Amino acid sequence: MQELAGIVGRCDREGQKLAIQGGNTLAGMGLPAQPTDLTLSTAALAGVVTYERADLTIAAHAGTRLRSIAILLAQQGQFVPFDAPHPAEATLGGTLAAGWLGPRRHLYGKPRDYMLGSTVVLADGTIARAGGMVVKNVAGYDMSRLYVGSFGTLGVLVQANLKTLVLPRRSRAFLARLPERTRSRAVAQVSSLEIRPSAAFWVRGFATAIDGEDGTEGRMLVVLEGSEALLERATRDLRSALGRAGVPETRVVDAGVRESLERAIDACVATLGERSVTYRILGFPSQAEARALAIAELVERSELRAELLVDAMNGDVFVRVSDLDALALGAKIEGFDESLHALEPGAIVVASRHPHRSNLAVWGAVPAAIDRMRALKARFDPNGTLNPGRFVGGI
Amino acid sequence: MLHQRLIEALGEDAVKTAPEDLSVYAFDAYTDGALPSAVALPANARDVSAVVRIARELGEPIVPRGAGTGLCGGAVPIEGGVVVSFARMNRILELDLANRRARVQPGVVNLDLSHHAGASGFFYAPDPSSQKTSTIGGNVATNAGGPHCLSYGTTVNHVLALEVVDETGNVFQTNVDEPGYDLTAVLVGSEGTLGIVTSAWVRLTRLPESVRVWLAAFGDVDSASEAVSAIIGAGIVPTALEMMDAVIVKAVEAAFHAGYPTEASAVLLVENAGFEDDMDACEAALARIVREHGALSWRSAQSPAERDALWAGRKGAAGATGRISPNYYTQDLCVPRSKLPAALRAVDEAASAHGIVVGNVFHAGDGNLHPLLMYDKRDRAQVAAVVETGNAILQSAIELGGTISGEHGIGYEKRDAMTRVYSTADLAAMGRVRDVFDPQRRLNPDKIFPAGAACPEVRAR
Repeated sequence: MQELAGIVGRCDREGQKLAIQGGNTLAGMGLPAQPTDLTLSTAALAGVVTYERADLTIAAHAGTRLRSIAILLAQQGQFVPFDAPHPAEATLGGTLAAGWLGPRRHLYGKPRDYMLGSTVVLADGTIARAGGMVVKNVAGYDMSRLYVGSFGTLGVLVQANLKTLVLPRRSRAFLARLPERTRSRAVAQVSSLEIRPSAAFWVRGFATAIDGEDGTEGRMLVVLEGSEALLERATRDLRSALGRAGVPETRVVDAGVRESLERAIDACVATLGERSVTYRILGFPSQAEARALAIAELVERSELRAELLVDAMNGDVFVRVSDLDALALGAKIEGFDESLHALEPGAIVVASRHPHRSNLAVWGAVPAAIDRMRALKARFDPNGTLNPGRFVGGI
Repeated sequence: MLHQRLIEALGEDAVKTAPEDLSVYAFDAYTDGALPSAVALPANARDVSAVVRIARELGEPIVPRGAGTGLCGGAVPIEGGVVVSFARMNRILELDLANRRARVQPGVVNLDLSHHAGASGFFYAPDPSSQKTSTIGGNVATNAGGPHCLSYGTTVNHVLALEVVDETGNVFQTNVDEPGYDLTAVLVGSEGTLGIVTSAWVRLTRLPESVRVWLAAFGDVDSASEAVSAIIGAGIVPTALEMMDAVIVKAVEAAFHAGYPTEASAVLLVENAGFEDDMDACEAALARIVREHGALSWRSAQSPAERDALWAGRKGAAGATGRISPNYYTQDLCVPRSKLPAALRAVDEAASAHGIVVGNVFHAGDGNLHPLLMYDKRDRAQVAAVVETGNAILQSAIELGGTISGEHGIGYEKRDAMTRVYSTADLAAMGRVRDVFDPQRRLNPDKIFPAGAACPEVRAR
C-alpha cells in the first residue's frame, strides 16, 4: 500500500499519467486510459486483511481475486453477491471501481451496498480512509460509495471493507428452451412469481451462454435460491408458470448452479473477436422485452446481427452487435451507434475489441450532472494522473 | 432586506419573520441554536432556488429542515441564517407501483408513504423510530436507519434518484443508474451540506407474505447481548433484532401496556418477515439459541394487534422515558456485533462512573446502540456528567472498532469527535467533496466537520 502510494504520488508530481489495472476483465467498459506513461497493476496487493465470521464482515486488499474471496467465505457459509464476469481473474478493487451490476442485485443489492469502508490512494499519494468495519455508519460522507463505479479516476482503491451475507442453503437452476412464441408469457410469469428467482435470463443468440449448447432457439435460465422448503415451493410455482407459458422443455439441475450463473454473466462481456460490440441498457423489468426487441430490430435494419441477453429480474438488456468480420462491422458501427443512442441514450458499451470502439459513444449520453462530476475529478486529481480519459464525459 | 426579498419571491404566507415564529425553528430534538434570520416555506424547487439565491446574495447561510426530529443538531441554525422548511412540500408526486418506486417531495412523512403504498401491497422500508413525524428529506439527509434496516438496508439503499438545488440556486439531477460518479450516494447522509433535495425517487418494497414477532426475556444484559451475537453468528439474520433493558422496559410497559415482561433485565424483540415456509425453522432456531443463553421466557405475538403493540412500545421507548426523568440524551454508536456485550458493559461502566441512570433501547442485530442517558437539565452537575458519560461511551465505541454514529448523523453534536475516528487526510478527502458542492460553506455550516480545524479543506466554516 505504501509502495503504491509512493509510486502514484511521484507520478503525479512528475506529470506522468497512470493506467490503473486490476484483473482487466472489464477493460471493455469505457475507453482505454490515454495517454498514459505507466500501467499500475493492483494484482500484487492481494489478500484478506481481516475476516470476522461472526460479525459478517470482511476486509480485503483490492488485488484479491473475487474467486478467492468467494471460496473463503463459502467455507463459512457466507458470500458477497458481486456476480461479476470472470471471477477467477476479476479483482475486488477492479470490480468495485467498475461498478459492475450483477443479476442478483434485485434481491441482494449492489456491490456498493456492501461497502462498509474503504482505503484509497489519491492522486497526490495521500492515503485516505472512509467508513469502518461496522454495518451502520453515518460519520461523514459516504466516500466509499463514491469510489465505487468511479473507474479509478478519483483514487486507487487499495482496500475494501464489506459486509457479507449468509449463503442460501440450497440452489437450483432451470434451463429451458424458449421458442419465440412462448417467450413473452414465460418472462412475464417468471418475473411475477411470488418467490422471486435470484436470477432469470433469456437469450436470443448468445449460443452457449445458457446451457453450453449451440442452438438457434431462444433459451432461458432461472436460478432459485433459499431454504429446502422454499425451494420446493418455488420449484412447483416455476414449473407451473413455465407450463402455462407453453415452454416445451426444462432441465432442472441442483449441481453446477453457480457455474450456470457464471456462464450467463460471462456472456455479458463476451466478444466475437474483433467483430462485435456489446451494449448494455438499463431499465425497468416491465419494459425490458419490448426494448430488447426494438433494439434488435434497429440492429437488423442497420444490416448487422443482434444477439440478446436479457436480465428479466432487473430489466438489463445486453445486445451484442456483430458482422461477418471487423471490416464489415467497422463500416456500419458508427452509424448504428448514433441511431441506437437516439433510441436509448443510456446505452453503454460493456465489451468490444473492435478498433473503432473509441469512436463510439461508449458511455451513452453525458449525465445531467457532468459538471459536478468534472469538478470532483478536478478536485481529487487536478493533474489528471489517474486513468485519464477512461470515464464519462472524457474524465 | 432579507425579509422583503423572501416575501417578494415566495409570498407572505411562505415566510416567517416574527421572533415568536422564528424561535420554533431554532431547535431540533437535540438542542437549540441561534434564532434564524428568517424561515422560508417553499412550495416547490423554484421557490427553493429563489431562497438560495437570495440568501447567497445577502450572505446568509441556509439551514434545510424536515420535521426537526434530528438528534444531533443537524437542523439547528448555529449562527442564524435562513431556515428552509419543507412543511409545504409534502406531496407524494407519483406512485409507480408497476416499477416499485415513488417520487416524493422532501416533506412527505416517512410513515405516510408506507401507508399510501400499503393499499397496493408495498411499503417504504427504512423505518426510523421517528417515522410518524420525520420526513423523507430528513431521512435522506441523515441516511436514516431504523430496526428494519438489519435486513432491508438504510435509506441510501432505497434512493434511486434525486433532484437537488445547489449552493448557487441551480437545480441538478442525480440517478443511480446513470454512468458517472455516484452523486446520489454522496448526497444521502450529507446532512444538508452538499445541496438541498427538492424531490426524490425512492424504492418501494413488497410487503412480506408472513410476519412473526417474538419476545425473549433475560435475567441480565450480558446474556441477552451474547444471545444476539450468537444469533448473527449462527447465520440467522432476522428482519429486526432489537434490545431493551429493564429501565426502558418498565417505562414502555407503564406507557403502552403492550405486554413486555417487566421482571426482565433485558428483552429481545425479534421479527422475521418473509415466506411462511421459512418461519417455523427460523422460530425453532431462535428459540434454541435464546434458551441456550439463559432466556427466562420466549413467546410469540399471537395477532397483528399484539405485534403492532409490541412495536409501538419499542418505537415509543424514548418518549416513554419521560416517566423516569425530565430529560434524556440519546447517544448513537455502532460496534461490530461480536463486541456488543463489551459495548454494553462499557456503557454501564461509564454511566455508573458518572452517576447517571442509563436505559438501553437499540438495534442489537446491527450493533447499533442507543444508550439513553437520564438527567435533569436544571441541574448543571448532571448536565456535565451526561456530557462526560456520552464522550466516554463514544470512546469505548471507537476502541471496540466501531463508529461514532450509526444512524443519527454527526450534525453539530459530534463534529469535533470526527477527529477521533478520521485522520486529517481522511477528513480532507471529504472536504474536497464539500469544496465542489459548497465551496463557501453556506449550506448548513457548522455541521459534520470539526470546528477550528487547521487544515483548510477540513474547516467547517
